[in-house]
Amino acid sequence: MNKIIKSYAPFMQAGIQTLIIYRMNFLGFVIGGLIYCFVMFYLWRAVFDSNGEGIFLGFSMTDMVIYLFLANTTSQLTYSSVSEVIGEEIKDGSISMRLLKPVNTDLSYMFSELGEVTMKLLVLFLPMITGLEIYRFCITGTVMFNAINFLLFLLSVVLAYIISFRVNLCFGFIAFYVKNLWGIGILKNSIIGFLSGSLIPLAFMPDRLRVCLEYMPFASMGYTPVMIYMGKYGANEILFRIGLQVVWALLLYGLSKLIWFGAIKKLCVQGG
Amino acid sequence: MRRIWKIYRLLAAQNLKRLMEYRADFLTGAVSFLIDQAIGIAFIFIIFTQVPQLAGFTFEQILFIYGFSQIPKGLDHLLTDNLWCIGYFIVRKGDFDKYLIRPINPLFHVIAETFQVDAVGELVVGIGLLIYAAPNAGLHITIWTVLLSIIAVPFAALIYTSLKIMTSALAFWLKSSGFIIQMVYGMNEFSKYPTTIYSFPIRIFVTYIIPFAFTGYYLSLYILTGNDPLFNIGGVILMSTILFIISVLIWNKGITAYESAGA
Repeated sequence: MNKIIKSYAPFMQAGIQTLIIYRMNFLGFVIGGLIYCFVMFYLWRAVFDSNGEGIFLGFSMTDMVIYLFLANTTSQLTYSSVSEVIGEEIKDGSISMRLLKPVNTDLSYMFSELGEVTMKLLVLFLPMITGLEIYRFCITGTVMFNAINFLLFLLSVVLAYIISFRVNLCFGFIAFYVKNLWGIGILKNSIIGFLSGSLIPLAFMPDRLRVCLEYMPFASMGYTPVMIYMGKYGANEILFRIGLQVVWALLLYGLSKLIWFGAIKKLCVQGG
Repeated sequence: MRRIWKIYRLLAAQNLKRLMEYRADFLTGAVSFLIDQAIGIAFIFIIFTQVPQLAGFTFEQILFIYGFSQIPKGLDHLLTDNLWCIGYFIVRKGDFDKYLIRPINPLFHVIAETFQVDAVGELVVGIGLLIYAAPNAGLHITIWTVLLSIIAVPFAALIYTSLKIMTSALAFWLKSSGFIIQMVYGMNEFSKYPTTIYSFPIRIFVTYIIPFAFTGYYLSLYILTGNDPLFNIGGVILMSTILFIISVLIWNKGITAYESAGA
């Protein structure tokens, strides 16, 4: 255990340092996300005004606000940029340095990123949760915070991150075959945004589509934890959803390993 | 003028050649922008399954506003995409040198260098929505409304371009300003829906400070109602002209502050 920490801690530290150097980019993404949330907030307010019933497909306005901001924060928290990192490393050849190190390649990527995740947790996630709880308290007048739900939510977020990391790892390995990842990257992000429910709650989709989407790994990357936090799932449903997350995490772990063994033979560094 | 046109054509031809070489890149780019659009439209569909009207507008009218807002955005995306690269890495890496040593205006050169065909995603969706929504949106069609709206579109695109010139020019001082472009550009989200849904301070902000409201809502409002051409159309022209002049001043000031990279 000690050995693992000793080998991987430097990756994490390097991750934090990179983030601090590029803190402005980080800030840009956070603010960009918030702008989107605010546009959506006003749009929903107009919808609820037009609707007049105070309930939209089972969501109240308070639910909607929590969903919007929490889904955005969760998707930022579980966002994995490992595919872009791999793409860059293949382009400039530095991946050969990583392959030479006597560490597990997947884990070294993950720990570089965990540094970033830790920072997001502190500067984005905690303030957001606190703000949302205060908002909820002001609107409803009671403390809605539920410690058990919150712990289950955290567990679900961790699983969501692992799934997101594996999905992006699989994507990143495509760079071994396709030299330019940029277009595919944008495509990937918009597909994940849509299918994971971070743009539109999956609950609003037509029934059959919704059931399909809820079983896909993308829902496990954002939708599941948010619904758990909001208390939309009963005890059995929570168990089932978290179980599904575990299954997806394992399946994607296997898939990424499989692609890796195929891809590593294809590695061709351009003039590195 | 003829020389400028000739140079532009030559550079655009180079771009198309590059495009033919990397066809897969172009396809994924265009498809991803199309999917982005599809999500926005799906969203409006879902809302209107539950409510008959949004802020006093019908389904077709909202689609019309949304579609109209995508056309100036697409135009700007088609013609001036290279400004992003200025902000993200051209200045930081010192590659801006090349624009300074050529006998044409650097700003023109930067813009002419890229012809971003990904923008067809936005343009196709925008025009498609206009055609789909127009018959049932209750448009106020006269020669004037149609003519003035068409004239206003390039000016609306100029609002995007000016904001991009301004924010990318900050890289001359900051070395990299990609995130600032991203932030300001991201506010175009506000242009997709009627400005009346926002609270008062935001309305003022998107009308007079970062005037994205003019690139979608006010433009469509004029052709939807025929009211207030002075504000709805005149505003677009005035705002874009002012912004453009400011942006060119900032750009020119920025170039004098540019220092190349060490290596």
